[in-house]
Amino acid sequence: MSDKERIKSLIKEAEIYRKQGLLEESKEKYEEILKFIQNHERYSKDKKLIDTVKSKIRTVEGTLDEIDQVTETPELSQEVQDLISRLFTFSKDKDMAAIEGAVALAKFGQYEKALVEFQRLIEEGKMPLLLAKNILMCHIALSSQDAAIAQFKQWVSRDAFSRRELKYIRIFLENALVKQGIKADLPQVEEAPAEEGKPEEKEEDIIDISSVRVQLVNGPRKGEMVEFEITFQLGNKISTIIPAQQKDLADAFEPGLRLSGMQCLSPLAIFNSRGIVSGLKIITSGPRRGDYALDITIDGV
Amino acid sequence: MAVFNSKDRVIECKIVYYGPGRSGKTTNLEYIFKAGKKYTNSEMVSINTKGDRTLFFDFLPIGLGKIRGCDVKVQLYTVPGQAKYSSTRKLVLKNVDGVVFVADSLEIQRKANFLSLKDLQQNLAEQNMIIFKIPLVIQYNKRDLGAQGIPIMPVEVMERDLNSKLKVPSFEASAMKGKGVGDTLKKCLILTLRHLQKELKWSQ
Repeated sequence: MSDKERIKSLIKEAEIYRKQGLLEESKEKYEEILKFIQNHERYSKDKKLIDTVKSKIRTVEGTLDEIDQVTETPELSQEVQDLISRLFTFSKDKDMAAIEGAVALAKFGQYEKALVEFQRLIEEGKMPLLLAKNILMCHIALSSQDAAIAQFKQWVSRDAFSRRELKYIRIFLENALVKQGIKADLPQVEEAPAEEGKPEEKEEDIIDISSVRVQLVNGPRKGEMVEFEITFQLGNKISTIIPAQQKDLADAFEPGLRLSGMQCLSPLAIFNSRGIVSGLKIITSGPRRGDYALDITIDGV
Repeated sequence: MAVFNSKDRVIECKIVYYGPGRSGKTTNLEYIFKAGKKYTNSEMVSINTKGDRTLFFDFLPIGLGKIRGCDVKVQLYTVPGQAKYSSTRKLVLKNVDGVVFVADSLEIQRKANFLSLKDLQQNLAEQNMIIFKIPLVIQYNKRDLGAQGIPIMPVEVMERDLNSKLKVPSFEASAMKGKGVGDTLKKCLILTLRHLQKELKWSQ
């Protein structure tokens, strides 16, 4: 291949990468061409050729800059937002499904719409702790830290939550703000004396858990850490399904078995917990017939 | 996870097109949409950003008509291929029933293919799914570029890189021209429906 043919071939390659949207690769190829030209006496004085290649490099760099500057989370149309809420809702429980839909909106950067949904759901009294945290996260994602703080103050003044819940929300908000480099003067929440005798964890204190990791304490896989996707959650009671083919795994979960080293994964955080196997039964009907339904009650975080 | 309504005999399943950025996942769906308009009443939804990069996902619902008395509806999705959209890929992959892995034949994309397949394996594992057990088809896309003098990998090399352990059906394709797109989808649908038939016992 002659030098001229090589340059032509490299230019063609660089152009195809550009058209394919492989811009970094296209830029590299043009730079390779430029180097090749500049190192060959025959072409190194061809100003027109050099300028053309340099201009191509600038064009590709310009497109790369435009892409970098584009906002990562554009506001989508109402129709697409509704579609997201519908497509990324997996729970059969109506309330959970509504929350999942709003969480999906937030995950796709539709914070304003998600905020409206979370506010609507919290008014209806559905899983208030989880919703409160999502509301605060949306405000922070929208760079409205002041709105998040004002919201928290409003909850404190209205006694919308128990003191214990408010303390939890306060810690959550404080940490979220610190991550943003903000040290806010949040109102202190004192524990009410009447609440001292209450159990360590109330049902509604458990946030939405998407999966749980459990260290096996029985069976041939003893010591292994396994992860289960949560198929249903009601307060501190979580359910998962073990496929029929994994009978040895199901056998490791006798009802009553204490699980001390659990890790709960939620969209917001990973936290350690403990619990007890509250049920294990074979599913007798429906699409998961033959699989095992495992119920765990979380009794400590 | 597919939804099977035994009363109405409707089955809905989800197929996700996975692969590195710019490998041609969206082009596959666009071709299916144009070529298969009779199978869908819905529009294809694409959420793109500058440079036609998929930002969140593409979505195309299609109907396959009745199979063994069941109305079969399929939802086709793509994921954003760029590494930074990991959390979106995880979300789109949730409850998937079948996967088409669109590999880029360009030599410069060899590592990207490998990393994307690894990413798929990890994201499936997070859902307690095993890549060796899920209905999976690999497509070697952009084969036409070889004829234009652009360096592409021989299929044997791609098979060795990506499919030596998986041993799943694979197809050469040029999604821009529609070549291989139908065969890839058809095979994935067959595998997925067979798998679901076994899992859900939906033909009974």
